[in-house]
Amino acid sequence: MSLFDIWLGILQGLGTTAAVTAYGLVFAVPFALVFGIAQYLTQGVARLLVTGVIEFWRSSAVIILLFIFYYALPVVGITLSAMTVSAMVLGLNAGGYASQAVRAGLQALPPGQREAGAALGLSRPAILLLIELPQALVAMSPTFVNTLIQLVKATALVSLVTLTDMTFRAKEIAQVEYNPVAIYTALLLAFFVVCYPIALAGRWLEARVAAPGSRSRGI
Amino acid sequence: MSAQSDTIVDIQGLNKWFGALHVLKDVDLTVACGSRVVVCGPSGSGKSTLIRCINGLESYQQGALRLAGTTLGLNARETASARRQTGMVFQSFNLFPHLTVLSNCTLALRRVAGRSRGEAQDIAMAHLEKVRIPEKAMSYPGQLSGGQQQRVAIARALCLNPRIMLFDEPTSALDPEMIKEVLDVMVALARDGMTMVCVTHEMGFAREVADQVVFMDGGCILDRAPARDFFGSAGHPRSRLFLDTILKH
Amino acid sequence: MGFDLAFALSSVPTILGAVGTTLCVALVSCIGAAAIGFFFEMVRRAGGIAGLTVGFVIDFIRSTPVLAWLYFLYFVLPFYGIRLGSMTVGVMGLSLYYSGYLAEVFKAGIDAIPKGQSEAARALSLSRRDAVIHVIAPQMLRNIAAPLGNYFVSILKATPYLAVLAVPEMLGRAFDIASETYRYTEPLVVAGLIFLALALVISHGVKRLERRLLAVGAR
Repeated sequence: MSLFDIWLGILQGLGTTAAVTAYGLVFAVPFALVFGIAQYLTQGVARLLVTGVIEFWRSSAVIILLFIFYYALPVVGITLSAMTVSAMVLGLNAGGYASQAVRAGLQALPPGQREAGAALGLSRPAILLLIELPQALVAMSPTFVNTLIQLVKATALVSLVTLTDMTFRAKEIAQVEYNPVAIYTALLLAFFVVCYPIALAGRWLEARVAAPGSRSRGI
Repeated sequence: MSAQSDTIVDIQGLNKWFGALHVLKDVDLTVACGSRVVVCGPSGSGKSTLIRCINGLESYQQGALRLAGTTLGLNARETASARRQTGMVFQSFNLFPHLTVLSNCTLALRRVAGRSRGEAQDIAMAHLEKVRIPEKAMSYPGQLSGGQQQRVAIARALCLNPRIMLFDEPTSALDPEMIKEVLDVMVALARDGMTMVCVTHEMGFAREVADQVVFMDGGCILDRAPARDFFGSAGHPRSRLFLDTILKH
Repeated sequence: MGFDLAFALSSVPTILGAVGTTLCVALVSCIGAAAIGFFFEMVRRAGGIAGLTVGFVIDFIRSTPVLAWLYFLYFVLPFYGIRLGSMTVGVMGLSLYYSGYLAEVFKAGIDAIPKGQSEAARALSLSRRDAVIHVIAPQMLRNIAAPLGNYFVSILKATPYLAVLAVPEMLGRAFDIASETYRYTEPLVVAGLIFLALALVISHGVKRLERRLLAVGAR
């Protein structure tokens, strides 16, 4: 097998990698928004509960969570496909991280924004939806892009629960062809080709977000 | 050479660009030992850049800048030793936040002047007393008011026993009630005969201590005059306008 | 079948026995990552061709999954006749992978020091070396302490990846128990909870440290 064949073989797993990422976002985005906002708005016991859920998904070792849900759910009678379990675990883990960006973005807004909204007679939900969230989401968009990259990279884990993603393909090829240098270099390159453009887009976004308030130095 | 032995700063035809921006245009300025020069002008006029050139914090592209007999920028070692003749006070204090007031003052004494710990502390305490803040020697900058921090910054600059003190808008970052305590220290310093170049908008201070007032705009020195004349009726129309605006506040 | 609490508890001592290995691997990897990351950042700051190259290496590392790096080192090094223990390879992999992130931490830590600090050091005629040692580095350490602590937690949570290289850390022990008893749920849950507890306790410590540092740095 030539280096190119190896690379093409690995890219056969790109579909699975992309599917887990996309499916994972279906879990990550709503979780980040709902729990980030909830953590921002709630107080006392409610906030403790919200924080508990976030911390469970965010602070656990994701590889262990994946195995627990993969092996344990059938034991309690819930049978989900490996794809669904992976997307849920990786998605909610990424969502846990992103929820902190949502909360931090909301908290970082000057209180004057909320007060101005209230002074105009807007309801609390309207202030959140029309004034706070648009600003917070713009400010936090570079962090979301980073979380997306983390999610793509985390999909390498699904090879451990039998999904044939790029990492799994690399190991399959390694069983028929002893050429570890080419195979694992190709694997790294395959992820690089996917993630680096996203990182560049994130950097561009960050520069745009930062531009209006950028520091200027006097002479 | 034209520079006499009692001239500490001698600037001839100084030009500086930041990229395409021409920030200093043919600036000539001499500062005699023991004299006090106040530089004023609107923001963006190049006055801060000029004072930063005098101790080599900024480089220049054309002309000559001689400090204590050394032309700056020709030789790194000579430039560094000439800089040691200067003390610099910044608008934003620039105290080192992780060091106590005393350590801020002793750092250069120990590392640059090679003094022992005891010597350095004695010198530093003497200068802290001069700026009337010895009781804060063990405090950290973050625990001090702006005026106190700036007085410490002056003491820190004095510790190396400079021949000339450079002040870059030392009171611009201060609340009004703190400006006086800093200006009082500066006036006392002037009375002691310290050579000073001071970028400031404090015209009361200029009137009280300055031998010469220099007015800059657009990177040029438009007007220079003994303080008495500068605040009198004579002078460049542009500096009159500036004075009128600033004195109305 | 369900969840057998007694069996779960019986697996605790075995899994907890590996907590020392886990913490040790995490600590050594973190130190390694900090050393490589600091070196990377210094070269990148110096600029030139070396700086650009290292900048690209950092981007490459950040665009590829840690699992792919572990496989890469584990299979490629022996190909060149370099035989190392799986623990060593694991620590190397984690160090290399996280060095890309810690380089960014060092960058942010240095960039956050106001320009006036190095100017004041120059105005006081301090040598470049003295300025770095006495003025820049102490302030950088304060800036990076909290992010460094957070990355230690990230590295800790990544140590179970080393189970794929058969390093006897906590997840590896859990799988040992699982393969002997054919019960996966309990040991995995126990390992997951221990990781969660460690992560939360250390994160809490980092947060307290951060608050203290912020209090000292307040103007």
